[in-house]
Parts: sequence; structure tokens; C-alpha cells
Amino acid sequence: MDSVGVVIAFYVLSAITIVSAASIFLLRNLVHAIVLLVVVFLGMAGLFLTLSADFIAVAQILIYAGAISVLFVFAVMLTPLASRDNGNSLYAGPGLLLGGAIAAIVVVTAFDVEWNQLTGVALEQRSFTDTIEVIGNQLLGPHVLAFEVASVLLLFALLGAIVLVTDPNNEDGTTAEEEAGKDTAVGGSE
Amino acid sequence: MTDLLGNDLNLQYELLGPEIALVITAALVLFADAFRRELKIGQSAIPAISILGLVVALLLSLLWIDENKDFARLVTIDNFTTFFRVLFIAVTVVVIIGSHEYIERRVSHLGEFYSLLLLSTVGAMLMAGARDLLTAYLAIEVMSFSLYILVSLAKSDTRSGEASLKYVLLGGVASAMLLYGLSFLYGVGGSTQYTEIAAALSDGTSTLELPLLLGLALIIAGLGFKASAVPFHMWTPDAYEGAPIPITAYLSATSKAATFALLLRWFAGPLLPAIDSWQWMISVLAVLTMVIGNLVALQQSNIKRLLAYSSIGQVGFMLMAIVTISDQTGSALLLHLSGYIITNLAVFMGVIAFYNRTGREEIVAFRGLAQTNPYLALVITAGLFSLAGMPLLAGFLTKFILFQSVVSGGYTWLVVTALLASTVSLYYYLQVIRQMYMYQPEGDASRWRLSPTGYLATGAMLVGVVWVGVYAAPFYTAADRAIAPLFT
Repeated sequence: MDSVGVVIAFYVLSAITIVSAASIFLLRNLVHAIVLLVVVFLGMAGLFLTLSADFIAVAQILIYAGAISVLFVFAVMLTPLASRDNGNSLYAGPGLLLGGAIAAIVVVTAFDVEWNQLTGVALEQRSFTDTIEVIGNQLLGPHVLAFEVASVLLLFALLGAIVLVTDPNNEDGTTAEEEAGKDTAVGGSE
Repeated sequence: MTDLLGNDLNLQYELLGPEIALVITAALVLFADAFRRELKIGQSAIPAISILGLVVALLLSLLWIDENKDFARLVTIDNFTTFFRVLFIAVTVVVIIGSHEYIERRVSHLGEFYSLLLLSTVGAMLMAGARDLLTAYLAIEVMSFSLYILVSLAKSDTRSGEASLKYVLLGGVASAMLLYGLSFLYGVGGSTQYTEIAAALSDGTSTLELPLLLGLALIIAGLGFKASAVPFHMWTPDAYEGAPIPITAYLSATSKAATFALLLRWFAGPLLPAIDSWQWMISVLAVLTMVIGNLVALQQSNIKRLLAYSSIGQVGFMLMAIVTISDQTGSALLLHLSGYIITNLAVFMGVIAFYNRTGREEIVAFRGLAQTNPYLALVITAGLFSLAGMPLLAGFLTKFILFQSVVSGGYTWLVVTALLASTVSLYYYLQVIRQMYMYQPEGDASRWRLSPTGYLATGAMLVGVVWVGVYAAPFYTAADRAIAPLFT
């Protein structure tokens, strides 16, 4: 049914994903954990590729491996008291319980669903075209209005973010943080 | 061009002329502000460019009177859309003319201020025109995002940042609820197009009662927030108090009208077949809103907070029209909405002119205004009396027609509650008028005059309040023609 390459790719990618995900628990350094999380996201993207979901794969890399992980890095860097230590937490017990419950639901569902209905003949009968081409044509054809409105919205959200962090008493364009940085620098030299 | 389902699509970009013109103007305003020194233009050029763009957009929207077309099955251009386009453009023009002095003095980031104002007008116009759930949602976000930022732009007023933060956090929650509700509606209706949801719901074969009910509750909660209906009104007084006053005026006019445009489109269109599921929800909301809004307004000492609660009370009256939705109540609602907006803008333009002079916004600060500036006292009094529903002013006639249409819709008990709430409202409006006429001015008692644009804005609104109150026939015809496409 599937070519050998796809099967090998599936096992290799799954191994990478699962091992990285498990190692996140064992690492003490939060930044290292984030790097491994990126590896998990990349492995997931590879799995999507083996399923012919090319658009989701690219979106996974752009959004999760790119944007979301940078967000995590920023959160860790900007939180002064969360020293990079992924230490023991009061919530370890409840967290394990909750995680275990969710994992149990996934496992039960996975065994409960009759997957074979959705593979083989039924799957092969559906013709897969390039999803990226279809999505691109849809976005810039019938849904061009929504696309443009969303881009205007994002542009002005960016503008708003800049306006909000600019110090009103200081119109030359430096942000409040930079100003604060200058102050501390001056304080340090005194 | 056709879409994935094989429907023919009409991609006639002229249909979106007003929106495109306003977005281009917003970009121009930004650039003009950034390169003001190089271009050698003064500060007042920026509002001038904005108004020019708005006038162009107004002319472009008048091209489509009595048309009924859609753009790519996403936006309808009919009389309803045209009505709201004209209304929103007019509100923005009045706000800019009436408050450019205030803005120059007390608002930071001029270019961004005007371009965001124009952009939120675009969002409001698309809300009135959308015929697809996702387009409507995007339009709501365009309007709200601009307003979140605008609220925070008052210079050297710490309340402004607080107001903006509250508004953005609660607004985010409301948007999430709305979107979740829309996803249920999509699940039940099988499409994001209004027409197809209506067809699916009126089919009667759907067995998805519970998801529909859940979806409706979430949608009503989300929109209730945008319209500031009780119990989703908590952000309103704080946002109104902290925002720059022109934005408070804009919030109470455009943001509210756009939400009601959307409510009318949804509840007269895709959701009409499910009327039994949502009628009671909206009537509960209407009663709570008019009672609590008007009662809490009694205790306010700040004019902006007073007007915030009074606008909440007004929302309760307007929600009654949604409960008994028909072409008759629909056109009464459009008429009341325009009357309310003209009246509210009259009050706000007066308050802005007062604030420009005194920098105070407590109600006691209005003491003796009838002596120091009788004209301004007259404008504010006319506005407040109209809000309370006095005869010969806009508020009386539009409220009368609204209440009458709700009674003929069979909801007399709602109207009785509304009349009681309306009587209560007279008391707190009179409190402000009493301060102006019955007391001696404190401190500086010399006469003062408004600026020319101040006279223009307040004068136009005063004329509007009286005109709608005395001779409303043109407005009534316009409202009638605007509501017709929704009920054919």
C-alpha cells in the first residue's frame, strides 16, 4: 500500500517526536526544553508531510516552530524571577494526574475508532491535489475581501502595538522600555 | 469566477468603493502625519484629509441606492448597507469637525488617531453589509481593534490606559464567545452564508436543538458585550470615562449602531427561523438593560459615566425592537437609532466644547453654564431633553414610533417597563440641566464663545435634533427603504 520510504519516514519521525517530547520533562534548563519543543514541532510537520497535508506542514513550521517558540523564548527571557530552572513544582501531582487523564482519553479514543474504515480503498478513492494551490487560489480569488480585511487588521494591530508602547512624553520614537534602559544605565554609572 | 461549490461570484470592486476609499485615506493620513515636516503642512491638514476621504466615500456609497448586489457572496450592497454607510460616515465627519481642537491638544499620536478612526468606520460599514459569518466576524474585529487603541490615546490621563486594558481584555473574551457561538451555528447550519443558514434552519429537519441553543446563547452574550447590554456592560462606564471624549462619542454612536446593524441582519435573516429559541433571551436582556442602566445612572457624578449608563439604558429600548422583529419594528429601530445618534452627538459635542474651555467633566462643574455660555447650555439641554423623550425633539418621536411598533408586535409588558425606565431617566437628565440653569457659576463668570468649528458641529446637531423631532418624514422614508431588503 504505502511505499517503504513513507513507512521508514513515519517511524523515524515518530521516534524523533516522541523522544524529544519525553526529554522535555527531564530537562532542567527551560531554554533547552524550548529547543526540544521546536524539534517536536518539526517532527509533527514531517508527519503531516507523510499524510500529503503539505499546507498544514508548512503552517506548522511557520507558526509553531517559528512564532510560538519565539514567544516562549521571550516569555522565559522577560520573566526575571523564573530563573532558567525547570524545578520541582507544587503542582507536579495534579499536573501528572491531568496529563495522564488526557493521555488516557486519547488512547481510549484511538483504540475505539475503527480506523480501517478511513484507510485503504476509501482513502485512495479521494483524489488529492496540491492543497497549497487550492488554498492560494481561494484566498486570492473568492475570499480576497476577507484576506485584505485581515491584512489591514494586522497592519493596524501592529501600528497599535507601537503606539501603545511609545512614551507619550517622548515623541522621538524610542519605546518606554528603551527609556527605562537608559535610566538604569545612567543610574549604574553614577 | 466560481467558488468551490460552483456558485457564480460577482467580483465587482466598485461595490466596495467607500471602504476602499477610506482605507486608502487612512494610509494617506498616516503618511501625511509621518512626513509633516517634509511636506510643510500644518496639524490641521490631517483632519482635512480625513474629511475629504470621508466625503469621497459618502459620494461613492450614494451610487448604490436601490441596488441589490453582493460582492463575492461575502458582502451585500443594498439599501440597508447604504443607510448605515451614510450614517457611519456622517458620525465620523461630525466627530472630527466637533473635536479636532480637543484632539490636537489632548490626544497623543495625531496621525494614528485619525487613521484608526477611519479604519473603525470601515469595520462598522462592513459589519452592516456582511452576508457571511466570517466576514462579519472580521469586520467586528477591525472595528474593535481600532477602538481598543483609540481608547488608550488620551494624553497624560492614567484612566485612559486602564480603560483600554479593561476594554481589550473583556472584548477579547466576548470575541472568543462570539466566535465559539458562530462555530456552533456553522455546525447546525452547515454554511457560513446567511442565506444558507436561514434555509437550513427553516428546513425543520435539524435535530441539533442543543447546539443551536448553546450557539445562540454565546452569540447573544458576545454581541451583548459589543452593544453593552446588561449583564455584559461592565466595561462601558470605565471605557467611556477613560477614553478621549471624541472617542466616547464615537463609541456611543458608531460602535452601538454597527452592533445593531449586525443584530438586525442576523436576527432578521439566518436566525429568524429559530425565533422561539432566542426571543426570550433577548427580552430578558432588554428588561435588565433598561432597568439597571437607568437606575445606576441616577448615582453618577461624572458626565461621561452618566452618559455611559444612559446609553446602556437606551440599548435596552433598542433591544425591544429585536425581540419583536418585523419590517415595522425594524424601520422603527433604524429611525430611533438615527435620532439617538444625532441627539447623543449633540450632547457630546456640547460636552467636548465645555471640556475644551474648562478641562472638567464632573456634573457640578456645569453650574451656571446658562450664564457663561447660554448657547452651549441650550445645546446640551436640548440633547438631554431629547434623550429623555420630550416632545418636539428627536427623542420623543423616534421613541414613540419604536414603542408603538413593539406594542403592535404583542409585547406590551416590555413597553410598560420601558416607559417606567424612561421616566426614571428624566430625573438624572434634569439633574444636569438644573446645575446649568439654577445655580450661579463658580469662579470665572465671564462669558465665553466657542470656536467656529465648535459652533458648526453643535449647531448642526441642534438643528438635527429639532428637525427629526418636528419633521421626521424623510428619515422615516429612508428607514423604511433601508429595512425593506431584509424582509423580502
